[in-house]
Amino acid sequence: MTTMTGWFRGSTIVTAVVAAAVGAVVSVSVTGRAGQGQGREQTTRPAQTPDGRPNFNGVWQANNEAHWDLEAHDARAGMVMQQGVYPYEFAQVPAAPVVALGAAAGVPGSLGVVGGDGRIPYTPEALRIKQENAEHWIDRDPELKCYQPGIPRAMYMPYPFQIVQGTDKIHMTFGFSNAARVIHLDAVELPPDYTYMGHSVGRWEEDTLVVEVTEFNGKTWFDRAGNFHGEGLRLTERFSPMTPDAIWYEVTATDPGTFTQPWTIEMPLYRRLEPSATVLDYPCIEFAEEFMYGHLRREQLVERWEGETMIVDITRKIPPGDALHDWYRR
Amino acid sequence: MRARHVLGIVVAVAGLSVWLAGTTSPVEAHHAFAAEFDAGLPVEFSGPVTKVEWINPHVWIHIDVTKDDGTVENWAFEGGTPNVLFRRGFTRRSLLPGTEISVDGYQAKDRTNRANGRDITFADGTKLFLGSSGTGAPYELARPGVDTADPAR
Amino acid sequence: MIKRRLIGSLGVATATTILMVVSFTSAPLEGQAPGATPWGHSNLEGIWLDVYATPFERAPELGEREFATAEERTARDQARMVNPGRNERSQSAGQDVAGAYNAVFTSARPAGPRTSLVVDPPNGRIPALTEEAQRQADAEQEWRLMLLRNTETCQSAAPGCNGGEFGPPSPSRFDVSPFYNTSRMNRHFGPEDQSLGDRCMLGRTPDFNGFRRIVQGQESIAIGYDTGQGQGFQRVVYLSGTHPVTQIHLRHGDSRGRWEGDTLTIETSNFSPKFPFRGSGANRTLIERYTRLDADTLEYEMTIEDPTVWVAPWTVRQELKRQDDMQNRIYYEPRCHEGNYGLPALLIGARMDEQEFQAGRGPDPFSMDTATCVTGLPE
Repeated sequence: MTTMTGWFRGSTIVTAVVAAAVGAVVSVSVTGRAGQGQGREQTTRPAQTPDGRPNFNGVWQANNEAHWDLEAHDARAGMVMQQGVYPYEFAQVPAAPVVALGAAAGVPGSLGVVGGDGRIPYTPEALRIKQENAEHWIDRDPELKCYQPGIPRAMYMPYPFQIVQGTDKIHMTFGFSNAARVIHLDAVELPPDYTYMGHSVGRWEEDTLVVEVTEFNGKTWFDRAGNFHGEGLRLTERFSPMTPDAIWYEVTATDPGTFTQPWTIEMPLYRRLEPSATVLDYPCIEFAEEFMYGHLRREQLVERWEGETMIVDITRKIPPGDALHDWYRR
Repeated sequence: MRARHVLGIVVAVAGLSVWLAGTTSPVEAHHAFAAEFDAGLPVEFSGPVTKVEWINPHVWIHIDVTKDDGTVENWAFEGGTPNVLFRRGFTRRSLLPGTEISVDGYQAKDRTNRANGRDITFADGTKLFLGSSGTGAPYELARPGVDTADPAR
Repeated sequence: MIKRRLIGSLGVATATTILMVVSFTSAPLEGQAPGATPWGHSNLEGIWLDVYATPFERAPELGEREFATAEERTARDQARMVNPGRNERSQSAGQDVAGAYNAVFTSARPAGPRTSLVVDPPNGRIPALTEEAQRQADAEQEWRLMLLRNTETCQSAAPGCNGGEFGPPSPSRFDVSPFYNTSRMNRHFGPEDQSLGDRCMLGRTPDFNGFRRIVQGQESIAIGYDTGQGQGFQRVVYLSGTHPVTQIHLRHGDSRGRWEGDTLTIETSNFSPKFPFRGSGANRTLIERYTRLDADTLEYEMTIEDPTVWVAPWTVRQELKRQDDMQNRIYYEPRCHEGNYGLPALLIGARMDEQEFQAGRGPDPFSMDTATCVTGLPE
């Protein structure tokens, strides 16, 4: 005991959070390296909460390409594409909405996050709708209108989100349009109407948070590739700690009106480790106003609108001093 | 007519002033309905509900209207926020398709089949969503004729 | 280095574990009852609401009296039982349209014990505006009145035209407004001419009127607001870290909290000028304090400071009552922008009015009041 008191007195570490529970002694998230530069300073944090649960508090973000397309896919030339010289799908070229952005407007490839054979098991009718969605992405994707993204899409969009782990609720605040979800660990009534973000009821199974999500209104997509669902969507999510700073996130989706069988996606979610990590708002309701209402302005800002159809003249000027172009102008 | 008109405004203002003075509601509580709907196009319809959109900022109730010549048009009427109703215990099951209602309002300026639901009632004249369903919102004032079926004072 | 850190933490952990074992076993795990959370903070969780309709500022004749008498409260409640405004049909069609929908869609709260939300300055009224802020407020008011000049609201000297005058449409009516507009005006050239409420962006910090769902974690606290007509929003209060640099502007600011005994003190800065609160934009800072008084009551106090707008800081105090999550069926998803059919509809209406006027078939849109609800009080 004397030795321990000696250690305690001699310790130069100030545990920032007073509640260091028994669990914390066993596994501590040591995310900083003392004395190696200011930017890397990070107070140690308990990997478990005082009631013995994994500590999911903090700022989290997925780090993959799932928000583009859940299924495995090659890199694509443009977010919106058209047939190029060849008729092959792999030879498509960027189309007008993105062509001026050059290589910044493509879609990175992905090994995919869908389990099984990697394909979402649509019914034939639903598959046709998915393909139409993909073809008409800029007309149909609710994300472009800054509509609430739904679950699970909000979990892997390229914006951080905050998890606040309360005593009987777990609250998540998403950077995208300040969307949110509350996971009820206690008994509550169903919401009075169907929802965008679902109704989430959670329970702990050992170290895994299991969440059942229901009451969807069918108006959200899974990604930017047109993958969608109906009102009948039901999800079972499993959040399991991989390390104190990574969660293995697994979702099983069923919707008999859209899919022939249940299917699963899986991915890690990573904690944002920088000091003072903060979720900044992506306030896109305003950003989407020109997109949605531009044709109703008294004087249009965009040249031009024909009714509700946006027809944009793209001007891209190559500035003087561009090495490549200067080379052959000489 | 002019004098009565002015008096009408004063009385209405007095009522609203007292109401608003007593609340901490934000001043912008609903859309500029006067910009959206035409005071010169009053409409009055009855028919069965076909769909209810329980959305913000305003509920939209769709009904099938049978015109004199027998054709059926579908109209949408804009009400207030559903959140107040939800807290009183109403849900999407509180107004199901098939329910016969009457609506009194003003048509949209663009002449589409949309109107503001100035007065939405059941066939017998009882206002929709009067009172509460179930346990209600305990903190509210029970205004006669608004929150309860008692005649307005 | 790492080993030393671990051992050091072990030492601290062991010492505090003894304490924590005591509170671990004594605090109820589900956290519904008041008391402490398992990590030793005062429990503020729940859905909270100011259940009373309290005037924002105190009537001058009440002086420094913070609380109302029972008679005063009853009188205010009686007044609201009669003629609940929106439930009455108007004689003029213009007013009737502006009345929008009947009063079942509105909620009235009873008069409460307080004479005002503002408790400091002691007279319950917010301090004077700075000269610059007053100038800006006057310029904005002048602008809105200018757009009403040719309407019947001004011709009949209705309250909506107070400070204005009747006349032909002003030559300035096509100008870009000389300030960043966030309220309603009698013009609808595009979304920017509409109020934040019309655009589903009304929710602002601070908010005194809405429901607040507090979910309390060990490292951060989430406050989900349900306010206005689906203008809900979320705030996250970080219990560590520092404010971002000043060039970061956030709609609800950046909030850093700390516990002072049983009181949660929150400091918020980095506000955006695009979502002003009573004229105060990027320069406002808030200090909020939450203290749980008993199982059903949460005391909330907010002090706001903006030296570019008010000559002194001022403070609001409220007692919030706990609402039953199970019974109340509060629906927390805002879904306002997703259902905002009214915004394109009113823009379409404005374009049609202009077309009719151009074709000689309709009145000048600037002669119609589509902003003040004709009764003069913006709703």
